[in-house]
Amino acid sequence: MKIKFSYLDEQFRNPEPILAEIKRLVESGDFTLGKPLQEFENSFAKLCGTKYAIGVGTGTDALRLSLIALGIKEGDEVITVPNSFYATAGAIATTGAKPVFVDVKNDYVIDVDLIENALTEKTKAIMPVHLYGKPANMPAIMKIAKENNLEVIEDACQGITAEVDGKTVGSFGAAGGFSVHPLKGINVWGDGGIITTNSEAIREKLLLLRNHGLKSRDECAVYGYNCRLDTLQAVVGNHIIKDVSRITEKRIGNAKYYDSELSKIEGIAIPPRKKNEKEVYHTYVIRAENRDGLLQHLIKNGIEAKVHYPIPLHLQEASKHLGYKKGDFPETEAQAKSIITLPAHQYLKDEEREYIVKKIKEFYK
Amino acid sequence: MSAPVKVRYVNFPLQYEGVKNELLPAVQKILESGNYILGPELEKLEIDFANLCGTKYALGVANGTDALIMSMKALGIGRGDEVITVPNSFIASTASIVMNEAKPVFVDVREDYNINPELIESAITPKTKAIIPVHLTGRPADMKRIMEIARKHKLFVIEDCAQSVGAKFDGKAVGSFGNTGCFSLHPLKNLAAVGDGGFITTNDTELYVKLKKMRNHGLKNRDECEFFSFNSRLDNLQAGIISVKMKHLDKWTKRRREIADFYRKNLSGVVTMPEERKNDYAVYHTFVVQAENRDELQAHLLSKGIETKIHYPIPIHLQEAAKHLGYKKGSFPVTEEQTKHILSLPIYPELAQEQIELVVREIKNFYAR
Repeated sequence: MKIKFSYLDEQFRNPEPILAEIKRLVESGDFTLGKPLQEFENSFAKLCGTKYAIGVGTGTDALRLSLIALGIKEGDEVITVPNSFYATAGAIATTGAKPVFVDVKNDYVIDVDLIENALTEKTKAIMPVHLYGKPANMPAIMKIAKENNLEVIEDACQGITAEVDGKTVGSFGAAGGFSVHPLKGINVWGDGGIITTNSEAIREKLLLLRNHGLKSRDECAVYGYNCRLDTLQAVVGNHIIKDVSRITEKRIGNAKYYDSELSKIEGIAIPPRKKNEKEVYHTYVIRAENRDGLLQHLIKNGIEAKVHYPIPLHLQEASKHLGYKKGDFPETEAQAKSIITLPAHQYLKDEEREYIVKKIKEFYK
Repeated sequence: MSAPVKVRYVNFPLQYEGVKNELLPAVQKILESGNYILGPELEKLEIDFANLCGTKYALGVANGTDALIMSMKALGIGRGDEVITVPNSFIASTASIVMNEAKPVFVDVREDYNINPELIESAITPKTKAIIPVHLTGRPADMKRIMEIARKHKLFVIEDCAQSVGAKFDGKAVGSFGNTGCFSLHPLKNLAAVGDGGFITTNDTELYVKLKKMRNHGLKNRDECEFFSFNSRLDNLQAGIISVKMKHLDKWTKRRREIADFYRKNLSGVVTMPEERKNDYAVYHTFVVQAENRDELQAHLLSKGIETKIHYPIPIHLQEAAKHLGYKKGSFPVTEEQTKHILSLPIYPELAQEQIELVVREIKNFYAR
């Protein structure tokens, strides 16, 4: 059996409805900040329970422009985690600010008890990451932020529709940055991102920042970027967003199945699951003894397992100037050696996930 | 005032009609493959685009603005540096400098709308790091003089080719003179995506390698990050679309040049138009004339169903965003004078002969009143 990690070709099995709309768009020429984009922004805001959503070029840009809109700049420090995709640190670093890492707990998200230790006079914001679709402890983070007068920008790139206490991620902080990259819960057919916010002032700034600072065709209020979500991609997003609860339920179902089957295996550790949280399993990540051996075994058996991510951010060459070293973040470092990602996407068939479990059991026998 | 539109300023549906039989299968093929990010279509297009520009490398990025921003960043231009450019361009030429925290220093233009090379040297200070000439309207700037000045003062040159794909100066393609050339594939451009897109061209291997990482999170490979960076990639889907259209570009450009010729011959003495330099190959992204009573002419044309535009009604140095730079009215007399008179006439390959004739006739009618 061959089980792929990416499912994009599956998604395209019934392309006719989307293709027909793309054709209409191409004929209309409404390519830049067009009507389908506004529609997507409205639906996305509704989905996240925020007043506004603003489509941008990528998830990285969603984070970066949020930081810039909140006035984060060189000399400032932003607290985040060392176990994320590069873009989390990249977004902070490209504003000129300094990423300051805080270790995570065994549930993969920021350890809220360690945040206050990392605060300095320069700290301006916290960027929690809802990694793998697992929400960070937002109530605690918001409390710390409030007490210390910090902004919160949620890195929700992997967390579309994840919830804490029934409240959707992206609606806690001043802004939430989402990615709609092809591998995300709601995806488009290229790069794309979207920012959620309840603040009209932040929205106004973002609208300028993403479109050359233009107030009108001819008037430039501030210098800005060109960072727009393609209207064509919004057409795709509009289709897939209708399906989001089905997609998410399917992923959650796969994760539950894995949790119950794999927890029986000695050598596998399932992260703690909390009753008050809705995880959306952007990726299904567990910890495994002899991870590299298991990874090889699964790949040999046609299963595209992965590691997200094998080298933590603080040990990347890009972090050299930040002065971190091995041992600084023991939990993250231990996880980097033991985590493994199993296919859990919405197209996974029952016999495929059974096969995966069988092969894992076989390995630990 | 509002007459039925007879000549649209742009007409996307018409362009689509001309290529749809090739476009739709290409799009479908990419979508079915699931290769949406940095895919084979992009890799192929990068080779073709480099060939078109006569450069060693071309790199697809998210848009033309990012092409400029990243070029400067890769060349190490930042806070405290000055970059020379023109005040009569789309705002992105200047914004890309400011986004790198460098200071834009404007130099006035000539009657051909491009930077006046004779004014560059007096704008150079010890802080000047680069010149960004803009090949505005699809007409090449005087790259011979600009490169001489850049060499003499050891300055980088970043060509803003956003409007000039395929244009040539002395037979050499724009984007191949400077350290980098920055192109836009925005829907309004001669070679247009159906969304945002851009290209950077360069002959410098080191720069290319750096920019290739810079556009993709600073990644050396999937798991190793050399420097924290942006995500600015040309979508593979857009690359596939551009590949289809690129086969038609030469033909489209020739048609634009024919229309320009027609306008020039028939409007001579009625409005002012820059001549084409003998060794230039302009691609007429826009056809900009200078007209007396411009606003009335524009209204007259509209009343006859002819759409026109102004590129651009407010020069960059007089925008609100430029306040902190300390320029004032009168700083750039040529640009400011042009701003009052410029008018962009419809010019795209799908225009019919009778439409162009109508434009000419109505302009003449206006002045004959």
